[in-house]
Amino acid sequence: MSFIADKQTLEDLNLLGKYKQHSIFSLFNKVKTDGGEQLLQTMFQTPLVDSEGINKRSEIFKYFQDKQSTFPFNNEQFSAMENYLSGSSGKNYVVIFLTLAKKKLLATIVRDEEYPKIQSSLQQTIAVLNHCKTFISQLEEGEKEKQHQQDHPFYDELLTVKNILNDPKLEWLTAEKTSAIQYDLQKTAQYDHLLRHAMREALQTVMETFYQLDVYIAVANLAQQRGFSYAQALPQKANYLNATDLKHPNIDKAVANPVSFHQDSNMIFLTGANMAGKSTFMKAFGINIYLAHMGFPVAASHMEFSVKEGIYSSINVPDNLDMGYSHFYAEVLRVKKVAEEVSKGKDLVIIFDELFKGTNVKDAYDATLAVTAAFSEYRNCLFIISTHIIEAGEVLKQQTNIQSLYLPTIMNGTIPTYTYKLQPGISSDRHGMMIIENEGILEIIRSAAN
Amino acid sequence: MLFTTDKQTQEDLNIYGKQGADSILSLFNRTATLNGCKLLEELFRYPLSDAEAINARIEKIRYLKTVKAVFPFSSELFDQAEQYLANTDERTKLLAEKPSLEKMLTSLVASNADYKQIVNGISALIEIIQQLNSLLNNTLLLAGSPLKRDEETTEIYKLLNTEPISLLLKENPKNKLHYEKLSAFDLMLRFRYRETVQQLLRYIYQLDVYITVAKVATEHSYIFPKALSKEEHVIKIKGFYHPQLKNAVPNTIHISPNSNVVFLTGANMAGKSTFMKSLGIAMYLAHMGFPVAAMEMEFSVLDGIYTTINLPDNLGIGASHFYAEVLRIKKVAKELSTGSNIFVIFDELFRGTNVKDAYEATIAITSAFAIKRNSVFVISTHIIEAGDILKERCANISFKYLPTRMKDTIPEYTYTLETGITDDRHGMIIINNEGILELLKKGKEINQ
Repeated sequence: MSFIADKQTLEDLNLLGKYKQHSIFSLFNKVKTDGGEQLLQTMFQTPLVDSEGINKRSEIFKYFQDKQSTFPFNNEQFSAMENYLSGSSGKNYVVIFLTLAKKKLLATIVRDEEYPKIQSSLQQTIAVLNHCKTFISQLEEGEKEKQHQQDHPFYDELLTVKNILNDPKLEWLTAEKTSAIQYDLQKTAQYDHLLRHAMREALQTVMETFYQLDVYIAVANLAQQRGFSYAQALPQKANYLNATDLKHPNIDKAVANPVSFHQDSNMIFLTGANMAGKSTFMKAFGINIYLAHMGFPVAASHMEFSVKEGIYSSINVPDNLDMGYSHFYAEVLRVKKVAEEVSKGKDLVIIFDELFKGTNVKDAYDATLAVTAAFSEYRNCLFIISTHIIEAGEVLKQQTNIQSLYLPTIMNGTIPTYTYKLQPGISSDRHGMMIIENEGILEIIRSAAN
Repeated sequence: MLFTTDKQTQEDLNIYGKQGADSILSLFNRTATLNGCKLLEELFRYPLSDAEAINARIEKIRYLKTVKAVFPFSSELFDQAEQYLANTDERTKLLAEKPSLEKMLTSLVASNADYKQIVNGISALIEIIQQLNSLLNNTLLLAGSPLKRDEETTEIYKLLNTEPISLLLKENPKNKLHYEKLSAFDLMLRFRYRETVQQLLRYIYQLDVYITVAKVATEHSYIFPKALSKEEHVIKIKGFYHPQLKNAVPNTIHISPNSNVVFLTGANMAGKSTFMKSLGIAMYLAHMGFPVAAMEMEFSVLDGIYTTINLPDNLGIGASHFYAEVLRIKKVAKELSTGSNIFVIFDELFRGTNVKDAYEATIAITSAFAIKRNSVFVISTHIIEAGDILKERCANISFKYLPTRMKDTIPEYTYTLETGITDDRHGMIIINNEGILELLKKGKEINQ
């Protein structure tokens, strides 16, 4: 089972998508190899739900962040090797030898290009494998001063790779390191047989480990550069979350806020004017929760959290007018979907931004109040609910597990400024009218009044 | 002064429609000639803002409808004539003297395309002009026809009956023309009286449009509106409906300076948008002097129409959608401040923001609009609370709603306008119908 986040949530938080502007995936996508990118995509698509797995992965990131290594290859070298290893010249040495002899003959007579191609990719592959070997021993060397080599979280994987590369069958690798001359036919056939047939699976493992290395090093370096930290995952049942200086990972100069939830305070009732940063705060929270469940670095100086089973958000619910759904009905269906999941007893993170827009004031008030109160009974989930219906907040204050927070607006004459800093309490700030007044619309209409 | 409108309005009302899809234009776009089609588009682009001009056009189309006029020309004639007229190269002019023997031989061996086109063009024009003459005599200028008073028609008639055009009437189009005559007509039609010929053709294209529109009016039993002077400030439409909907429900509305703001409420599916679109389309067509989908219509001519029904959401929902609405209102406000009397439609005003802001803004904007007694506003909203305040503040707001009848928990709609503010509160009903609260309650019990 994997951490649940549906399409609406992924869109709200702009998590996935290589070509989407400012997506969180593209923020982290600094890997060098195609294989690494695929692996990163898989990690983004399947966050984890066990605290051990999460903590183990973040340990590895941390380790590489401390080492500040760089991934020593570029994509071309790696894809050349991958291409070469995925092909085959034959099943056994004799067949390979004959096939290659035929190709060599063809190359001499009719300038067929296959033989020289095989030779050059073989040479490239040997060069990359040698490079891998050096890189692993370098990693190890740095480790020698430390007493417990085995403590290093990526030790097992590296050991496997090292053993494969030091296999006696590959002893000749080092010798061929510097050879610039072309191998003769016999040697080519011998190496080709070894790499593409005898050692095929082992070398596949080597490549996969290096894809992992690519991801770990890229993400660790990004964390270093952005000053991200690693969240500590706690077992599921506690329903505890504490974060300091939480901010949006993709916004420069984002303002940091602390967030804290526990069993008896599991819902945030958020108020504030339209531009005060409610949505950004909610998105920042959702993104960091998601990243934390991937074991990835988070945009906070410190974070501890009980593992959850999934996240649902309702921030930009599109109205589906083609199907005859109004905005209001689209929101109702979204709330229903979340209610279904919550009522199954799942431990979820729920984010609702400004519910029930497309209806009248009274209904919006009734609906917000009823829905919020019903959800708040679920102490195993975490909720952030934002609204302009402050009256609902006054009533909900009676529920002890609701924290009321707001994002303030400070008026500088008629120009609103925002601190983006959470404050306890409920705010009645609004400035829809102010926008209308700043545009001078009422004056324009009245100006020629007859 | 021109009748002003904008792209947003034309898209809202589906005047031109998307390529290939049905639109108001395509409803009428059945002219026989290609140039008639172009002229029709032009009429749609420039509605009129002058009661006399509107009524004159209505009179003409109404007459054509009563006499069941048929467009007598074959459209191929116009292709030939237009092609011929498009050739303004002096070198192709038919010379007055007979061609040399050499030339005649050449043209026998390889026929001359230019020459053929010229001969065809001339005989097409002769046929067209003769048919126009008989159309005028037999249909358009009969006793009691409004076209008798029409300046343009009178002028056309005069042109037909004076030389040189009258010479054409004497020819028998079936006979082959002599070369001397051909060259004389060529010089006359294509060069010397070129503009006169074009004026005649334009008149025929206009007839094409009017006859087509009259036919459409007969088929759909549309009625002809009556334009009143600008100063009267009334709109009375009885039984209007959406021309593109089957089984559309007709509605009636009466707007005067004492009720020039229509505050429309109703549930989401109750038909608010359709009502507003039907009204907008009727006003648009009426200002073109076209028949409308209604039983009766009288209207004072206005200076323009601006609707905001489907404001594009491409700016993203939230503050930016709200801002798009604000800018749209600003545009209308600017138009109002120039002193124009316009027809304004706003559907679901401020749906892009929270209910509280929407409530305040709806009150502020609507009461500001209400000062403009000579313009007409139709504003729909889901913020019914704003209506109560507006009722106290402004006397000239007329409150209308489209009702929902609940059959147990299933809503039914009449689509018939009623007076007042609806207190239909569907929000909670929808939430209850979806059973969200029960779902949560039940889940809680099971988990415990």
